[in-house]
Amino acid sequence: MTERPAAEREPGSYRDPSGFVFRRDGVLYRQINASFADDWAAFESSGLHQALVREGLLIADAPASLELAPEPGAVAVIQPDEIGFVSHPFEWSFSQLKDAALLTLRAQSLAAEHGMTLRDASAYNVQFSDGKAILIDTLSFERAAGDQPWKPYRQFCENFLAPLALMAHRDGRLGQLLRTWIDGVPLDLASELLPRSTRYFAPGLAAHIHLHARAQRQHAGSSGPDGAPSGTSRAVTMSEGRRLALLDHLRRTVEGLHLPAHGTVWADYADQTSYSKAGTASKESIVKHMLKAIASDGGRRAWDVGANTGRYSRIAADAGFWVLALDIDWAAVERHYLTLRSSGETRVTPLLADIAEPSPAIGWENTERASLIDRANADVVIALALVHHLAIGRNVPLPMISRLMARLSPNLIVEWIPKDDPMVQRLLAAREDIFADYSPEAFLAAFHTDFEILEEAPIEDSGRVLFRMRRHQ
Amino acid sequence: MHLVFAYIDPGAGSLVIQAIIAGLVSIPFFFRNAIRSTIGRFRHKPTDGASAATGRSAPDEKGAASTDSE
Repeated sequence: MTERPAAEREPGSYRDPSGFVFRRDGVLYRQINASFADDWAAFESSGLHQALVREGLLIADAPASLELAPEPGAVAVIQPDEIGFVSHPFEWSFSQLKDAALLTLRAQSLAAEHGMTLRDASAYNVQFSDGKAILIDTLSFERAAGDQPWKPYRQFCENFLAPLALMAHRDGRLGQLLRTWIDGVPLDLASELLPRSTRYFAPGLAAHIHLHARAQRQHAGSSGPDGAPSGTSRAVTMSEGRRLALLDHLRRTVEGLHLPAHGTVWADYADQTSYSKAGTASKESIVKHMLKAIASDGGRRAWDVGANTGRYSRIAADAGFWVLALDIDWAAVERHYLTLRSSGETRVTPLLADIAEPSPAIGWENTERASLIDRANADVVIALALVHHLAIGRNVPLPMISRLMARLSPNLIVEWIPKDDPMVQRLLAAREDIFADYSPEAFLAAFHTDFEILEEAPIEDSGRVLFRMRRHQ
Repeated sequence: MHLVFAYIDPGAGSLVIQAIIAGLVSIPFFFRNAIRSTIGRFRHKPTDGASAATGRSAPDEKGAASTDSE
């Protein structure tokens, strides 16, 4: 064997025979196989590769030594830029998924201008980096054959259009269907769940979801050896003009989808906390001070857990952190994303996640898409106004909350909210108080097990206290 | 006759229906583009001086052109 560090293939990179992603010594690479050599050459020579990267549609990459290829048959190895955090489509809000869909269509249109086409349209090919959606699969493009239909049409409808339509026309929480269906929402299910009115009064959805589902049912079974769908005498062909018209129609359909304008309990939450002005100012300045201490220790990535619409995520970003802002409520994440997008803030990535029931590992062998906890990469977790929701709202014992925080990150900024606080009282309003252990003493005892407490700062004008802690070595 | 080579399953029904939908939507698509390019030609008419004075017509045309290509 050689002295090179062993290569480890990324578990999610197995479907496409034209290449795969691997790590060597922690560095991410992509091998391109001989079977894809002609398309790869065309991707380069057509200028599409450079154009996509220049427009910020595709992750940048650098050529790497062919010797790094872990498997025989490589024609090239590239080193793509790393994404700060790999998220899954069911962790995105409506507008994040919509932006990912429009990015995919824009990339297809640019590809068409260069005589190329997308060969897949999985939502997993999109990630959020520097505040915007970007394609990460450099091998998604092939030469366009003049009269072929758009191959990823079905995948696009299942991965993007169906969940977006369900969120817009039924309920914003239905993006969670992507958690069960890793390859996209089955169109017959989407057709079943969408309101009847979308069959008649939403032409885009009538065509691309309802009729599409019906056609799938009719042609279920086989396609002939010549590639002709059963029931037809010849293979489907489509002129370039019609392909453009189809993609234009898909784009219009996606652009026409909007969430109904109503908030949820959470999205309005930031506006109605129990803090006085002095209390808010005090909390902000303490958090800022604690973050600076962690930043000066070399901390760079922060997870703001229970971020709501991101007030403290922005403070963390200003303190020099790259921030992942997690929240359980889709409307809060949506609002946060829209605020960031319009303000041009690129250092914060909002995601939908329930820390009490984190995203599981899904897909092949339960390794294809990693769980939220396996993706933990924070230098600090910011847990403001969170502990009472877990301890009282979800019945999680304090020592278990401490243990989770210690698994997520070596540093912790956590807020203690006493039982007589109005927000805790609100949680207890309609239920029996079975939380005799919810006390400052029990809180400190629990967190002492996993953390060293470095700072303790009471928030003015309230009974709340902020702590900065460091995980025991 | 063509084989549809793809590592993903494009789906027999999906291929058929997209051809039908594409046929239908191509009619308004080309109609719209024809109107746009006609308008575009008319907008080109004013002299450079005029469009520089309003400062608007040039970027508008650019926007329309880039929408066309999508």
